[in-house]
Amino acid sequence: MKHSTRVFVSLILFLIAVMALVAASPPGDVGPTYAIRNCKIVPVAGPVIEKGTIVIRDGLIESVGPVDKIKIPEDAEIVEADGLVAYPGLISALSNLFLETPARPEGQAFTSEEPPQPQAQQPQEDRFPPGPGLLVLDQLKPKRAGVESFHKAGFTTVLAAPARGIFEGQSVLLNLNGEPLQPMVLRNGVALHINFTTERGSYPSSLMGTIAHIRQSFIDADYYAARQAQYEKGPAGLKRPEYDPRLEALVPFIRDRKPVVFQCNNVEDIKRALKIAGEFKLNAFLAGANEAWRAADVLKKSPVPLLIALDFRPPATSKYAAQGEELRKKAEAEIYPANAASLAKEGIAFALVSGSNADGAAVLRNVRTAIKSGLSPDAALRALTIQPARYMGLDRTLGTLEPGKIANVVLVKGEFFDDNAQVAKVFVDGVQFKYAEVTK
Amino acid sequence: MNKPALPRLLTLCLLAAAAVVVSSLPAAADSRDILIKNGTILTVTKGVIPKGDVLVIGGIIKQIGGTIAAPPGVRVVDAAGRYVLPGIIDSHTHIALAGTNEGSEAITPEADVGTVINADDTAILTALSGGVTMVHTMHGSANPIGGPNVVLKMKWGRPSEELVVKEALPTLKFALGENVKQSGRTVQPGQTQRYPATRMGVNAIIRREFEKARNYMAQWDRYNRAAAAKNPPRNLVPPRKDLRLEVLAEVLRGERVARCHSYQATETLEFMELAKEFGFKVQCFEHIWEGYKIADELAAAGIGISVFADSWAYKMEAAEGIAYDAGYCAKHGVLVSINSDSGERIRRLFNDAAKTMKYGGLTEDEALRLVTINPAIQLGVDKLVGSLEVGKQGDIAIFSEHPMSAYTRCDMTIIEGDVYFDRDQVLKEREEAAKKAAAPRDKGGAS
Repeated sequence: MKHSTRVFVSLILFLIAVMALVAASPPGDVGPTYAIRNCKIVPVAGPVIEKGTIVIRDGLIESVGPVDKIKIPEDAEIVEADGLVAYPGLISALSNLFLETPARPEGQAFTSEEPPQPQAQQPQEDRFPPGPGLLVLDQLKPKRAGVESFHKAGFTTVLAAPARGIFEGQSVLLNLNGEPLQPMVLRNGVALHINFTTERGSYPSSLMGTIAHIRQSFIDADYYAARQAQYEKGPAGLKRPEYDPRLEALVPFIRDRKPVVFQCNNVEDIKRALKIAGEFKLNAFLAGANEAWRAADVLKKSPVPLLIALDFRPPATSKYAAQGEELRKKAEAEIYPANAASLAKEGIAFALVSGSNADGAAVLRNVRTAIKSGLSPDAALRALTIQPARYMGLDRTLGTLEPGKIANVVLVKGEFFDDNAQVAKVFVDGVQFKYAEVTK
Repeated sequence: MNKPALPRLLTLCLLAAAAVVVSSLPAAADSRDILIKNGTILTVTKGVIPKGDVLVIGGIIKQIGGTIAAPPGVRVVDAAGRYVLPGIIDSHTHIALAGTNEGSEAITPEADVGTVINADDTAILTALSGGVTMVHTMHGSANPIGGPNVVLKMKWGRPSEELVVKEALPTLKFALGENVKQSGRTVQPGQTQRYPATRMGVNAIIRREFEKARNYMAQWDRYNRAAAAKNPPRNLVPPRKDLRLEVLAEVLRGERVARCHSYQATETLEFMELAKEFGFKVQCFEHIWEGYKIADELAAAGIGISVFADSWAYKMEAAEGIAYDAGYCAKHGVLVSINSDSGERIRRLFNDAAKTMKYGGLTEDEALRLVTINPAIQLGVDKLVGSLEVGKQGDIAIFSEHPMSAYTRCDMTIIEGDVYFDRDQVLKEREEAAKKAAAPRDKGGAS
């Protein structure tokens, strides 16, 4: 009796485990083995394979190659992919996915004639919410709908970033392998995110105040690190430096060149960010940057990772939003979409990112718009795979279809960036997600 | 700054009208060579040449007067019957910036308008249409100590860094009176009144900040001396670098001059005393409506003023303003400029300067100086611009009548030899845009 109950319970547990495996592979367990065969393969790392097989084992790519070269393992579940094209999972190196707070406001108007009226002074530690020490991971609320929306656009990996304040906080890299947050995390505290915005009602309330505030913060962080190091070296006769959580959080970015991502809503923001990066020798990334073509000369002189947003609405601080409706429409339809193509022509490297755009379909549509504006599909694919992987220091594990890499694979009906292409299946960490029926 | 509402509305209307053609205006060509022929040349500093030519090569004035043969490839402009003068300079405005005031605190010398230049501001076009080639664009007057200002050339279409006039005297904005004590503000429940709320508080807070800056400089001096010693003491700790006090230290060292928004005579004299006590240089008082009351003191101290021609009495502290302010001060040895403080009035500074002929009795030449060489001296760029002289930069305006005539208008504005405003061309473009807008639209075309 007792024994049979235990068998029954074990059976139930086993079934639950099998069901769970289909949805998400719990950490520590061995994931399933798949053989995706008879598909066209675009590995990004090498030439296109017209008819090939990809073997996935336990979350990793075991082998990739032409059908006649790859032996399908006996334990593999066969995934018939005749008529489909396999791509590496797309990476958005900047996203506000899973943030409860509203997405980044459409820039801030800095043109107010009247000085803002200060509110009652708040306590010092609350004056710059949320601050550089904030880890956005602690605020994320993943939703299945968000995951699916991005899967259907081919995205398997995102850098989830905060979107409030000047020092917005630190981002986390996620592999979209299900709904639970913890198993998604590839790396936490990836980059510090800075936005040239203002604090309404308190200091700084103007863009120039914000720039001074950012500079003073880095000066203070550097000074803080120097005082700590001096104290460590010889504390005798030295007053103990006071602990400051805000400056402590900034130290790795000013001392150890951890990435700092500047949101750049117009051409001036790009120059500002480069100036601050130069002054403090930061490892700067420029995000948004839909006016990067206007600073092409500067960007060629001082190359810096660019995270071009697939969101072509001109922010309020752009001249394209400030000089009449006609120009704004033209910018959204023609000028901003042509940015990526212009950069490619100038030989300036960039990644394409979803940014504040939480609608996967709209993001993919904007990739297609950029391609129609002159970007080659191949360059677009690289800007969504290997280039962001390199920027994030993840090119050994992501960004291409190669043996040994994480099994992030997208199977598409049709060529990815054609208007009527459709994502059929997505594998993330070797976990399969089915989206469209495969019909030959 | 304190703008009446009407001009602001007007500006908006003008901008809306201009928006149609803004995008089609090309950035100026890079030739930097031009020959202007047969104009009446108002050199400002070297008299009037009734009929003559001006040659600019590589952005610099090479020759003035007589008949000059056009070098090959140089654009020739016929100015017969028209007036050729130095580009107009606005000593006090707030255009071409992304934000004017860091108004959250009373003391903000770290908030530098030079970091927020907006080269896409269409007010640059408005300025060009009034013959303006250079502006001193400033931090607003919300704070007793505002931020550093910047001098820009109106090079529309060029990247922001190319607009900056690096040779100009570094300045810092101060302000006294109603704006900084926030007299017009009603404190809402839950809000606190910002200090200072009185004129005596304004003087006190500025003194306090300069004392802080003195201490800061002394700290650094002590540290630098100790660090430079043969055997520096163990565990020597440098002071914290403070961007706010760094700027005030520049003022105390004489590397940066004060430009002080000030209306009334008494507090102006107090500020002059403060400057004497701390040993810093006041270059100019802004808008000073009661300047005529202390013209002799200003002249003796070598402090200039930058003022409106009229439009006084728009607030209590402007109640004793008079139209004779600029003219009277100019006649009493004060270096006077007429400013716009506005993205709209900037296009008619020549009209405002001319008012000093009626109110104050200045001559044509004297009046023209108020918007050319005088502001150039105030900005420390009179060796480069402000008059038509060989060797100066080719910043030139061509007017249909004498610029001090009520019937004049600006036909062309040239900066360093490049044409940035050409009235004929703008009118042509506007006509084409109107034609395009009136043409029947394609089905489904953008509205």
